[in-house]
Amino acid sequence: MNSSTEPRQAPSEYQANLEILLQIPLFSGLPIEALKLLAYLCRREIFKEGEIIFQQHEMDENAYFIIDGKAKLILENGGDEEISEFSESAFIGGLSMFYGMKRLFTLKAETQVTCLMLSREKFQKTLEQFPTITGKLFEGLVKSIYEWEIRVIGEHDQDCARCRGSIGVTLV
Amino acid sequence: MTITKRPLMYWVKTSNLKLQILLLIVILVTVTTRVIPLEMQKKIVNQAIGMKKIDLLFLYCGFYLASVVIASGMKFVITYLQTLLGQQALTRIRKEMFDHILQLPLSFFRKTSSGLVVSSLVTEVVSASEFVGQAIAVPVTNLLTLLAFGGYMFYLNPLLACLSLIIYPIVIAIIPRMQRRSNEANKQRVDITRALSSKIGETISGIHEVHANGSYRIENRKYGVFVEQLQRTRITWTLYKQGIKTLNNFFQNLGPFTLFIVGGYLAIHGRFDLGALVAFLSAYDKLYDPWKELMDFYQTYQDASVSYVRLMEYYDLEPEHLTEPIDREPFPLKGAIQVKDLSFTVAGGIQLLKQVSLELNQGEQLALIGFSGSGKSTLAQCISQLYTYTGGSVQIDGHEVNDLTKRDLALNMGVVAQSPFIFDGTIKENLLYSCQAMLEDNGAESGEELPTLDEMIEVIQQVGLFVDILRFGLNALLAADQEAELVDKLIRVRENFQNQFGRDLAEFVEFFDEERYLYFSSVATNLIFGNPNKPEFTADQLANNQYFLDFLDEAQLKNSLISLGHQLAEQTMDILANLPPDEIFFQQSPISSDEFEDYRALVGRTAGARLHDLSEQEQHLYLKLSLRFTPGLHKIVALPEVVEKLILDGRFLFRKKIQQDHPGVISFYRMSEYIHSQTILDNILFGKPRTDHPKSQERINQSIIHLLIEEDLLEQIVELGMNFRVGTKGDRLSGGQRQKLAIARVFLKAPPILIMDEATSALDNASQKRIQNLLETKWKGKSTLISVIHRLDTIKGYDKIGVMKAGKIIEMGTYEELLAKKGVLYEFIHGAKTGAQ
Repeated sequence: MNSSTEPRQAPSEYQANLEILLQIPLFSGLPIEALKLLAYLCRREIFKEGEIIFQQHEMDENAYFIIDGKAKLILENGGDEEISEFSESAFIGGLSMFYGMKRLFTLKAETQVTCLMLSREKFQKTLEQFPTITGKLFEGLVKSIYEWEIRVIGEHDQDCARCRGSIGVTLV
Repeated sequence: MTITKRPLMYWVKTSNLKLQILLLIVILVTVTTRVIPLEMQKKIVNQAIGMKKIDLLFLYCGFYLASVVIASGMKFVITYLQTLLGQQALTRIRKEMFDHILQLPLSFFRKTSSGLVVSSLVTEVVSASEFVGQAIAVPVTNLLTLLAFGGYMFYLNPLLACLSLIIYPIVIAIIPRMQRRSNEANKQRVDITRALSSKIGETISGIHEVHANGSYRIENRKYGVFVEQLQRTRITWTLYKQGIKTLNNFFQNLGPFTLFIVGGYLAIHGRFDLGALVAFLSAYDKLYDPWKELMDFYQTYQDASVSYVRLMEYYDLEPEHLTEPIDREPFPLKGAIQVKDLSFTVAGGIQLLKQVSLELNQGEQLALIGFSGSGKSTLAQCISQLYTYTGGSVQIDGHEVNDLTKRDLALNMGVVAQSPFIFDGTIKENLLYSCQAMLEDNGAESGEELPTLDEMIEVIQQVGLFVDILRFGLNALLAADQEAELVDKLIRVRENFQNQFGRDLAEFVEFFDEERYLYFSSVATNLIFGNPNKPEFTADQLANNQYFLDFLDEAQLKNSLISLGHQLAEQTMDILANLPPDEIFFQQSPISSDEFEDYRALVGRTAGARLHDLSEQEQHLYLKLSLRFTPGLHKIVALPEVVEKLILDGRFLFRKKIQQDHPGVISFYRMSEYIHSQTILDNILFGKPRTDHPKSQERINQSIIHLLIEEDLLEQIVELGMNFRVGTKGDRLSGGQRQKLAIARVFLKAPPILIMDEATSALDNASQKRIQNLLETKWKGKSTLISVIHRLDTIKGYDKIGVMKAGKIIEMGTYEELLAKKGVLYEFIHGAKTGAQ
């Protein structure tokens, strides 16, 4: 009757979710109880090829982990400018867990995309239960922004005067 | 006279006079009947026993009994009347206080927590009402009783009477001094209790912060300070109160001592008969009760006046504005607004607004922009009289806003606040909230009516709530015996849906297909696959239904299901065991929040137990869970393939059996029959949606709306949706839905002046645009609009734009003018564009 010790049964979606969350760097410092709760609260969603996962300028309070498939990130600024592509194991939208924002980009499924979605509301409810993890999470967030900026500065073109205004996000 | 200026005695004077007189009469009768037993006592001892006359003994004993019975009956009537008077006064005080508190200025509520108001209205007023109930009856009864007994004692023996009554003047001299001390302590108690309830109120409303900071100790310490103060004060207070009682008792008990000495001496010398001495002692004894009651009354009075005065002092604030205009009808305003040198200073000399001037003609629209803290909202609130400005003037059609009454504004102005409040009730009630308030103010004779259904639907379409409300309607259940016509139409919609969209939407909907397992329905639904017509076969009763249990056995399902239930409970406990029973945690488990504790105990008890170890009761509880198990929703456990197969087979076995044994008990799912245990949506789909993701909801909605229009059902379903209950503070609605509802209720009221304070901040782009569009087309020229705005892309259509900074308007003009000027607005827009790169 004890499910976890008997291998004969197929793992539940919850157990599979838990394994995925364990891979996400942002959550790496969290205690297992918090991860269990998050794994229980998140949901899976399938997007068909060409479907919009989130839309630029629209409120979207979810974080996504791509389990399977490819999606492209688009900046709609006059025309559609393709920024980058996300594929399996990409984690997108961690910041939305802390602040409800309107998306600055559009994410569109390139192939059929299966992803794990976590809403801000549920994430915040979990934070309330484990208030001590907030610090760990912020550390993880700041670290990824910091690493991002190091990369941007590394690729910075010194002749591009207009680009200078766009660096310095780590100074906020 | 405002309620806070009224003395405590006001409530006595204005209480029901007839009741008070009735009470007095009853009391007079009672007092008379109280003396009879004493006289009978004397007669029984002296005449009946002394003379050995049996018939007299019976007669006097009969009188004695009768008077005791009457006295007790009267006592009951007195208590009843007192309670009635007291509770009537309490209700009046509570109602009038609440009315008064509601009208107090907003600034009052910044320093007053809701906890304090609750404790004032719920507990603090009680002692005052207790006093009102007793105010006439108790002192009159007891004084009269005292006089009656005292007089009787004088009649028996004046000397003895004087001797035994001499203590009372002494007591009367001492007690008020002690009472003063007691009152001091009581005053402190009221203040500390008030501080304590404020503190509790604050902590509970800030509980998120407390959890987030783990500041349990800090909060405990702050709270502890008050609790300990309260403890000390209560001890002092009780000591004085009890001290008075003890002192009183002491003197009272001294009485018989004098009586025995003097009375005994007189009796021995034959100057006083024994019967009289017995009667005297009894009379003295009887003095005790009225005297004690008088004392208690005195204390009740003192406590009540202390609490009452303290209470009234706290709320002794005039509402800043009259509710109703005096000597005139409320103004019908056109909406020309003129603000001149407006300033607003709050405590500490902080100037939130400095010399603001602006002018708006009737129907003009003004957008206020600027950084947060620049005074946009404050300006809007000063114009809408929510804040009372401290300098300059705001005039509407030449009337100074500070001089207008609340009623003038309620009739002419609509405000959508930054985070609007939605009250518990239905969508419809909230939608009509503003109109209803206006209508009730005007009285029934005004001939105005509430908006019609068509008007309401028009407005909810305008603000973009239509689809949401339609959705609520689609989620409604229809009772089996009503709406027969609607049901017929819905069946037709179902058929059309299957024909036109069935194949396209198969990925979003799991259709009721008897050959397939339904992952988005419960195990019970999968087995029964029909609509129960008898209460024993409804989903929550199945686990108690012996016929069904026997069937489970026969289908080889019982043990697998119990084991599945056990697994579900264990897994839920593993995840949720140490968490508070918050609703959101239970949406994905078959255990509901109120059953949580029971199942936690059960899991603890049966940990590691084998199936055969479980008692029948425990098996039953686990079975109940597994019957609710819906694999598509409860992802914590995977449904084993074997069990799935058994359930599917069981479905056919069940059908065969029940059709033989109890035909008609179940209406099986058929395309041609309405399923009353399922929502309207599920009936149309003839299945369950697989996900609640907006994209699939939208696809389903689009197809359904089209079909509903064909059958002319749309409005009827929306009407059902308007009866959706929004929950406390509207918490069953999303932030966007709440904002839309608040805008809708103001649009429905259609006032000449509209104030919108970041009213669309939580809305998606499309809704925001739609509402902006509406303001520019429908409302321009009709209502004067002041809109505090946080997004620059919606300001183009405004007649005027005011840019605010540090409490001043630094730029004012049309969009084109300000852009041409290349001032602050230009920078804002330019800056915003580069910022978005």
